Amino acid sequence: MMNKNEQKISIGKKIGGFIRSNPVPMMFVLICAVCIPISGFSAGYLLNEIITRMGRNIFLILSLLIPIMAGMGLNFGMTLGAMAGEIGLILVADWQIWGIPGIILAMIISIPLSIGLGILCGNLLNRAKGREMVTSLIISYFMNGLYQLVVLYMMGSIIPIKHYSIMLPRGYGIRNTVSLLNMRQSLDNLLAINIGNVKIPVLTFLIIAALCFFIIWFRKTKLGQDMRAVGQDMDVARDAGINVDKTRIISIVMSTVFAGFGMIIYLQNIGNMPTYSAHSQIGMFCIAALLIGGASVDKASIGNVFLGVILFHLMFIVAPKTGAVITGDSMIGEYFRVFVSYGVITVALIMYETKKRKAKAKAGRQLELAQTGEDKQ
Amino acid sequence: MNAKRKFLFRAGAIVILLLIAGAMFIVGRGHTVFFDNKAIEYNGQTYAAPYKVVVIVDGEQAAKLYDKERGKAICIGQKFTMSLEVTEVKGGNEETSTITLDLPYNMDGIIINMPALLAGLPEEAYLSEFISAPDETEEEEVVPDDLTLPEDITNPG
Repeated sequence: MMNKNEQKISIGKKIGGFIRSNPVPMMFVLICAVCIPISGFSAGYLLNEIITRMGRNIFLILSLLIPIMAGMGLNFGMTLGAMAGEIGLILVADWQIWGIPGIILAMIISIPLSIGLGILCGNLLNRAKGREMVTSLIISYFMNGLYQLVVLYMMGSIIPIKHYSIMLPRGYGIRNTVSLLNMRQSLDNLLAINIGNVKIPVLTFLIIAALCFFIIWFRKTKLGQDMRAVGQDMDVARDAGINVDKTRIISIVMSTVFAGFGMIIYLQNIGNMPTYSAHSQIGMFCIAALLIGGASVDKASIGNVFLGVILFHLMFIVAPKTGAVITGDSMIGEYFRVFVSYGVITVALIMYETKKRKAKAKAGRQLELAQTGEDKQ
Repeated sequence: MNAKRKFLFRAGAIVILLLIAGAMFIVGRGHTVFFDNKAIEYNGQTYAAPYKVVVIVDGEQAAKLYDKERGKAICIGQKFTMSLEVTEVKGGNEETSTITLDLPYNMDGIIINMPALLAGLPEEAYLSEFISAPDETEEEEVVPDDLTLPEDITNPG
């Protein structure tokens, strides 16, 4: 039987262990706990904002899970899917297809583009094994240039665009902002229910739930098991007869397709599309949210996605107001949330490398001990 | 056999997606419908505008039009149903009717002349295309983002 002191120490150790194993989410819980009372926002307002942002962002962030499962780290290349989604939306806006049919059509248009871009990205990443994250980041920058070439020069001149409201007055190229007013929140408003002042976009959450169930189911399939095997050890997976390169490409293609859908869900919620910048930061913010939820480069779960979105966006909501209350300048809060996004990615990458090195050093020591033991015998 | 099955599945998926896309093309086509309560002359006969027309679309009042007034509503799809509450003269009785119109696919903006529609004239009399005035705004400066092309490329000339 443990006495009271021992019990207290045991609980303290458990809490300490929990905090040590989840430093990033705990840090953000602390930041939110400090900022919320200072910001002065009501619980109803915060809940409404969080639910809106969950509906807007979760699908996009879920698209990051499959490449992590396949050991490809954080897929900065999800931007490619976002671009495919945007091209779908531009075409749908030009054809004047509105509402939910417009969203579905944009998603269908994005599928072949996402598959093509995903195959390209996956093939390039297979040539840069072990450096997937930085490679996918650079691929996203490269594709951003190509996207601009297509949208700024080819649309209207080669790709037929006729609608005056989205085309630049010079006769080709797309305007800085494409209005999606006619499909704004059509997904969120269908089946929406209001509880108090809080609007719950039921259909959007059903779609998110469907993707969550798909991911859970997919992990149990042969392909899902192959991806996990590839993620754990590529050489062992190859020896077991798994086509490693193909499996990795499929994971990136799936991620890119889901990112395209996610971007369309995201933009329909906002109601307009900044043509040349909507996708540029989306990968960074999604990855930051996932890491804040407690994910790492090699391990992420659906729970991390939900926790991350809640904490990250809670900080997004309260930080400007808190900054304004403390310093009198809301821009401080804006800077804060941007540097926190990049900071958390940096910290996560450093932690991952440190953990990897420690594990390697430990394995080395164990091998050394085993060899010394063998020599003595 | 396996390859054939795989091919059939893929082909089937593509066909289903194309069918859904085709259906979305038709059911999702958006139109802006303008209602003009303005006298019209057709075949040498003048059809006067009623005193007041209230247009109700999807249970909500889209426009309340007096003489020479214009209102608008949006419509997704090619069928447009509206309820009209027409008062011919000031202080007169209000007559309610429900009208369903087939909208032309190729028109973004459609003008419906209410006196012509109420008089039961053919489509060519009550329906015309709304053509917006040419965009006379100055050339828009495109700001792709910070990684991007220099300004002289994005704004030629």
